[in-house]
Amino acid sequence: MPELLHTLPVTRIVTTAAALDGASVPEDALVLRTAPDEALVIHAEAADPDAITIDDAHAIVVADAGWSGGWIPTAAADTFLDGNCSWARPIDRPAFAQGMVAHLPVKLWFEAERTLFVVPHVSAHELTHRLREGGIA
Amino acid sequence: MNEFWEAKVALQWGTLKPSYDVVIIGGGGHGLATAYNLALRHGITNVAVLERSYIGGGNSGRNTTVIRSNYGKPEPVRFYQRSLELYRDLEAETERWMMHDERGLWWITHTEAGRRTEIARAEINRAFGADTRFAEPEEIEREIPGINMNPAGEFPVLGGSFHAGGATARHDRVVWALAEGAMRAGVDIIQGVEVTGLKVENNQIVGVETTQGSIATETVVSAVGGHATSVADMAGVRLPIRTHPLQAFVTNHYEGTFDAIVASIDLGFYVSQTARGEMLGGAHIDPQPSYSRRSDHHFISSIAKRITALFPFMGDLRVLRQWTGSCDMSPDYSPVMGRTPVDGFLITTGWGTWGFKAIPAGGEAMAELVATGTTPELIAPFSLDRFAKDRALADRGSSGTH
Amino acid sequence: MGGGARKVAPDPTSTNRCRTLGAVSDDTFDFAGRDITFAPGDSALLALTRHGIHPAGGGPLCFAGDCPNCLCTVDGISYVRACQTPAEVGVRIEPHPTNGEPPLPAWDTEAKTVAAIHRRADVVVIGGGESGQAARQQAADAGRIVELLDTNDGAEAIAVYPGPIVVARTADGMVNIECDDIVVATGAAEIQPIVPGSRLAGLWTPRAAAHVQAAGIDLGLTVAVGDVSDDAAATVVAPGELVRFEGEERLAAVITMVDGAEVRTEADNAIVGLGIHPRTGLARMANFMDVEVVGDAALEPTVPTCPSSGIACPCSNVTVEQLDDIYERGFTHMELLKRGTLAGTGTCQGSVCTPYLRSFLQDRGQELQPAFTFRPMAKQLTMNEIAAGSHLPALARTSLDSVHRDLGAQMDRMGGWWRPWTYGDTDAEYAAVRERVSLGDVSTLGKMILTGPDAEASLQRLFPTDVSTIKPGRSRYVLMLNERGYVMDDGMIAREHDGTFFLTFTSGGASMAEMWIRDWSASWGHDIRILNQTMSLGAINVTGPLAKELLERATDDDLPPFLGHCNITVAGVPCKVLRVSFTGELSFELHHPVDRSVELWTALMDLGADLGIQPHAIEALFRLRLEKGHIIVGIDTDYDSTPRRLQHEWAVNMKKGDFIGRTAIERTNRLALDKRLVGFRTEGRAPFEGAVVWSGSDYAGWVTSAAFSPTIGAGVALGWLEAVDGEFPASVTIDGLDAEIVSPHFYDPEGARPRA
Ligand SMILES: Cc1cc2nc3c(=O)[nH]c(=O)nc-3n(C[C@H](O)[C@H](O)[C@H](O)COP(=O)(O)OP(=O)(O)OC[C@H]3O[C@@H](n4cnc5c(N)ncnc54)[C@H](O)[C@@H]3O)c2cc1C
Repeated sequence: MPELLHTLPVTRIVTTAAALDGASVPEDALVLRTAPDEALVIHAEAADPDAITIDDAHAIVVADAGWSGGWIPTAAADTFLDGNCSWARPIDRPAFAQGMVAHLPVKLWFEAERTLFVVPHVSAHELTHRLREGGIA
Repeated sequence: MNEFWEAKVALQWGTLKPSYDVVIIGGGGHGLATAYNLALRHGITNVAVLERSYIGGGNSGRNTTVIRSNYGKPEPVRFYQRSLELYRDLEAETERWMMHDERGLWWITHTEAGRRTEIARAEINRAFGADTRFAEPEEIEREIPGINMNPAGEFPVLGGSFHAGGATARHDRVVWALAEGAMRAGVDIIQGVEVTGLKVENNQIVGVETTQGSIATETVVSAVGGHATSVADMAGVRLPIRTHPLQAFVTNHYEGTFDAIVASIDLGFYVSQTARGEMLGGAHIDPQPSYSRRSDHHFISSIAKRITALFPFMGDLRVLRQWTGSCDMSPDYSPVMGRTPVDGFLITTGWGTWGFKAIPAGGEAMAELVATGTTPELIAPFSLDRFAKDRALADRGSSGTH
Repeated sequence: MGGGARKVAPDPTSTNRCRTLGAVSDDTFDFAGRDITFAPGDSALLALTRHGIHPAGGGPLCFAGDCPNCLCTVDGISYVRACQTPAEVGVRIEPHPTNGEPPLPAWDTEAKTVAAIHRRADVVVIGGGESGQAARQQAADAGRIVELLDTNDGAEAIAVYPGPIVVARTADGMVNIECDDIVVATGAAEIQPIVPGSRLAGLWTPRAAAHVQAAGIDLGLTVAVGDVSDDAAATVVAPGELVRFEGEERLAAVITMVDGAEVRTEADNAIVGLGIHPRTGLARMANFMDVEVVGDAALEPTVPTCPSSGIACPCSNVTVEQLDDIYERGFTHMELLKRGTLAGTGTCQGSVCTPYLRSFLQDRGQELQPAFTFRPMAKQLTMNEIAAGSHLPALARTSLDSVHRDLGAQMDRMGGWWRPWTYGDTDAEYAAVRERVSLGDVSTLGKMILTGPDAEASLQRLFPTDVSTIKPGRSRYVLMLNERGYVMDDGMIAREHDGTFFLTFTSGGASMAEMWIRDWSASWGHDIRILNQTMSLGAINVTGPLAKELLERATDDDLPPFLGHCNITVAGVPCKVLRVSFTGELSFELHHPVDRSVELWTALMDLGADLGIQPHAIEALFRLRLEKGHIIVGIDTDYDSTPRRLQHEWAVNMKKGDFIGRTAIERTNRLALDKRLVGFRTEGRAPFEGAVVWSGSDYAGWVTSAAFSPTIGAGVALGWLEAVDGEFPASVTIDGLDAEIVSPHFYDPEGARPRA
């Protein structure tokens, strides 16, 4: 069976909300704003903190190998979430949401055709198991 | 089964008088046991118990009725062991059947650290008179029917302690028997009266305000499980207590063949079959302080998952009802009994999730304190001033759920 | 189909005396060992009725899920209503025992997984009758997303929880609907008779009678009593007030009272119309919000006449005489009446008895009582159904988890993580650390970056050490105290050359520590940035006298001095190396990106092969640190462990400014010391962990950690020594051994080895 989740090339940012508003990141990176003053930048290739500019001398901008993720086609993702996510998901696409999914802390990035599931590396084994239990191959 | 017929409890309600020697606030187990002991052991009968709703309507009528003394420190082991022993005689003394059943309690652990804790528990229990021993997995598998020795392949049963003194009793019957005994001896127990204020003059209690008027008294015992801080506040006393919801559930009635009382420390639940055949279960307090008595979905679905992991056969039991009580939690998970900085204002609180078992000994000691003016040695370690004196009695691991 | 089972022909003498079987097919289900034929669409109860079988032997039937009179055990699950069980081929139904309770499921019954579906709606309408349909239409017209739940459509609403969440059972599993508004259109239940004789077979509510008649079942000589609608066809009408039913096992006659005289009406069956009682259970359960109650559910309930005898509560078998008796004994409060008799606490949730209890109390001069508090659940679910969608608590796995498992480690649950307890030979693991070199997985340590303009100011107030004196490139052991001056956690603070800080905490302590730092800093108005890297960085402890030798093979960079740290590359992996020692040996903690852990571990194991490298697990680690007297927060500490009690006052600097716990420490330091954590030494063997410390016959504490130390050649232990009558005892016995009270630093007390 193919691995469902892989280590994501992430740069983690901790700064102020204002600085994050004005931050610039590579065009092809996906930014998940996990808090007003925090973001996960998922790079297209390798994690690259230097490619991010931010107007905050104290910002923490570090490569972070601690995130696992995988893209799941919309239909399968929705079926799984119907059974494992007790909170209301956003309707717009694309959209970001985070919370407990299958009792694990999961971040979700919804696109029209597919959904990205992101978990801390330490929960990747468990999420993989629960995704498979939920019928995702 | 109709439980009334076997024990003809008769309650004679009092009417409120303008003054009493002692006013007890709260008609739960602790208030009633204090009144009972004042009247029967000390002959003090000019006593009122004021209950704002109906007796036993607080936690004393909504707990999971586990009686045990397998605590982790000398002082609580001694205290709860006294209570456990008093429970043994309570039916004979009151001539009322309470469905008291001493069948032993298993605390199962699924970790190495848990093994050490249970070995330690058995040791300290034996040292202070409680009957507890460590049990290896083989014995647990042999003795507890239907147990899955390795739930989900992730919770191997690594041992546990067996507390032979562990028992259950029907909570309402305990409440009624104590109320009846106190009433017969002349105590006025009044339902539907809420205490709304306390009168203090020169740091001495002088009276109680209620929804039915004022009462003069120089001794007030607050036994208002779930509301300790608000009532103490009426006397200007601040308590280090927070109130958290605690939920529980029962299934329908089944033939009584599951004889064990079992708690899994790591799965975080306990379960027993009542004398009436219901499977009765509970877990930890809700983490957020609240006075809410609403039951929620997360609790019931999560506890059902955990229970059926250890006892798959229970998956086919149908749940009848779930409910919630309000638990006054002290910072060190031990009760708070005795005097306060205000003369004549005594408290028995901090009963958290563990106060049902303590009703006989708590009532005995509080009555002795009221009657003699001296704090009994058994409860001296539990006084409110222990926090100021830095003499906390932390026993979280022993008090957690029931 | 059981080989010996026989098909049942309609029995003309059977309990219902029904004359026609109705159109049935050849399909059967099993009832108490008999094959029961049924018509498509039948409920099990309807099919049984066709065969003249009353599953409970007797009692009025409602066919609406309200009463407890058709309870059965269906496929091993008890307390299931036959009227709500579809008749299906192969179903096995046992009657509910008339005497006693059904047995528990067999001990070896396996748990079954039930699916759960979460949905969201603007409005949930419960009940699909006329008023429910109207409510649905109205909401839909207003552009709202509506879910309608109706038992007859296979979606039975079970409970309403705060959220609000409506939980329903469907054929596909459990459905949990989060919504904004709820409309309760659950209709009304029919009041059942409780007069004497009400436990006979042959009694039907009007709707039940209409239902079975519509299915083609002829009820024979049928008597209508009370208010019976036109839908149910009766042969005769019994005049006047209902008094009792007569018959043996099944109905023979209805007795009514007309002008003070009893009238007897012969009957095969009776249709009893006593009015209705709205089904408000779900609405009452949702009393935390405004629910709209529509249709019959909103009607005023009929208050029936409570007879002076009869079984008022069929679930708990409570008679009116018993209610009377207990009422006379002072159980006058509705709740006490209920608790004293258990009336209203059974499977039907008071549906049958509540109307009568209210009229019973009203007859005795009380105001008409509201119905009981209604708690979940309205209809019952199995624990398997309730557990649907729930998971067991998951543990975190370090990036070396598979390495440990491949090595055959016994994994243990600890502080929220899976950790290797032993690789199988703890003595050998221990020896590898003391004598050679070893690796340990310490990825579970809490790890944090703290920076920002006020980072140092925050640390100064958070911790009892003088943070200003930690130089760049250096680190220091710290205690984390709460406001009571009690130790909550311990860890290391390392200052980087760029002024940021790297903090470590104990395993499992990371989230608490992060919250603690965030909350306090925010309350002080401090401008900080904090990043919890616990899950992002793996950590390997390289420890043992040959640790330096091993690392020098893996890096060209300089290794840090004792209590120093640096960022270097080890075996090609970028590492933050902290030189701290928990084992008592020369040790380096290599913090590194989690995706490189296996690579780093493997490289070090390879490089150390000729040095006799061997990994050590937790059990060995606990012994190693015990010999050093290093405490483990949560094992050797208690709720009220002050630095003084722990003999860790060296970690508290009272000369610096304010810090959390300072006031408490100043105050408690003036009190007599009552207990302290000490070392115990025993000859021959170690006491067991948890053993009580005795001073003569007085309790004097307990052992928190103990092991036999091959290096010391004695039992070594940490434990609490308590003052007895204000004095600390000088000699104690533990676990039958004479124990010497000693410094806890058994091994290398001068600390030369980690500094080597
Ligand atoms: C779900 C649950 C399970 C539990 N399981 C166990 C267990 O297994 N074993 C165990 O030992 N303990 C258990 N407990 C704890 C135990 O129930 C309580 O500690 C114990 O009942 C407390 O008794 P009490 O008399 O102090 O308080 P309560 O029984 O709560 O009585 C206090 C009374 O004071 C009244 N009152 C409040 N304010 C006022 C006022 N202003 N004026 C007048 N009256 C007032 C209330 O109405 C109430 O009746 C459990 C608790 C819950 C909620």
